[in-house]
Amino acid sequence: MPQFDFAHVFWPQVAWLAVFFAVLYFGVVRLTLPKLGKVMGEREDKISGDLSAAKVAKDAADEVDARYHADMNASREDARKAIADAKAKAAKASEKSLAKATASAEAELAEAEARIAAAVDAAQGALRDAAAESAQAIVAKLTGGEPTLDAAKASVAAHF
Amino acid sequence: MANPMEQFAVETIKPLEVAGYDVSFTNSSLWMLIALATVSAFLFVGTWRPQLVPGRWQAATEYLYDFVRKMLDENVGPEGRRFAPLIFSIFIFVLACNLLGLIPWIHAFTPTSHISVTLGLALIVFVTVCVVGFARHGLHFFALFWPHGSGIVLGAFVFVIEFLSFLSRPFTLAIRLFANMTAGHVLLKVFGTFVVALGSFGALPYVFGILPLGVNIALTALEVLIAVVQAYVFALLASLYLNDAINLH
Repeated sequence: MPQFDFAHVFWPQVAWLAVFFAVLYFGVVRLTLPKLGKVMGEREDKISGDLSAAKVAKDAADEVDARYHADMNASREDARKAIADAKAKAAKASEKSLAKATASAEAELAEAEARIAAAVDAAQGALRDAAAESAQAIVAKLTGGEPTLDAAKASVAAHF
Repeated sequence: MANPMEQFAVETIKPLEVAGYDVSFTNSSLWMLIALATVSAFLFVGTWRPQLVPGRWQAATEYLYDFVRKMLDENVGPEGRRFAPLIFSIFIFVLACNLLGLIPWIHAFTPTSHISVTLGLALIVFVTVCVVGFARHGLHFFALFWPHGSGIVLGAFVFVIEFLSFLSRPFTLAIRLFANMTAGHVLLKVFGTFVVALGSFGALPYVFGILPLGVNIALTALEVLIAVVQAYVFALLASLYLNDAINLH
């Protein structure tokens, strides 16, 4: 095997290997890989930066959303309260006007009753006067006495 | 018919000598240079103008770099990232040598099928591990070989075994890669000669060559897989050894 003919193959190969590997390591890899490593690091930073920015934006959006929901609930509550208030107010107002109407109707009724009572009284008064005059005339005719109108009136009032 | 070992022959292209050592530029050197050029082109194109949203070439280089970084993260921990360029260099150089050597027809040579090359790569790892280990832990680095909570006699015994196994690491690392590459290429060549031998059967030409040809196609796919897997194994073991040096278990 030519590989074990070290007297002829060892130094030529090892010497050139040393030269070429040195060139590769110091002249090629040391020049190019750091550039690559730098850009790869930048990319990693950019991606993680973008990710954290996206997270911040999402948190902000979540907060806005939560606030929106809270506002929404509060205004719904307000609206409910306003409706209840309006309902209560309307109920109270109608009660009041009803009471007023009731009161005026009662007043009219009382007035009418009073008028009727007055009319009845007047009618009864006229009737009594007529009865008293009749009684005076009857007594005068029967007894020949002349009772006063007042006595006849008192007598009628006592009997009726 | 070509000898299956002929493909591993190192042929001098330009003889050179430095301080009495033969350092000729050979076909092995040439293919290491081709691997270097390929990797350089890939990396320079891929990182020409790095973008936050990568293009195809950048995505490909990033994929490989990320692969090595993840391997180090998993096996070494956060301190492993400092060694990502080294492990990346080893991984991509072995990968390029393995894959380029599989190209047929163009007299491709696989430098990683030579134990001199793989041992050189393994020694880069070994020396790095020793330097990092002693620099971080000083002589306490030897605690790596001492079993926790055992007596002095057993401890010393295990220490010797662990130490020898530590010293053998560059050799096992080198031999694993070299043997895998060599075996695969020998197998491909052997079945290649079968294609020629059986296909040139005079009475019924070509017909009997089809079976070994089919085997060779399947073997080529397998060898591509092995080329990638062995580059990964080499880099993985290198990072595991680094983990020992950095974290002492």
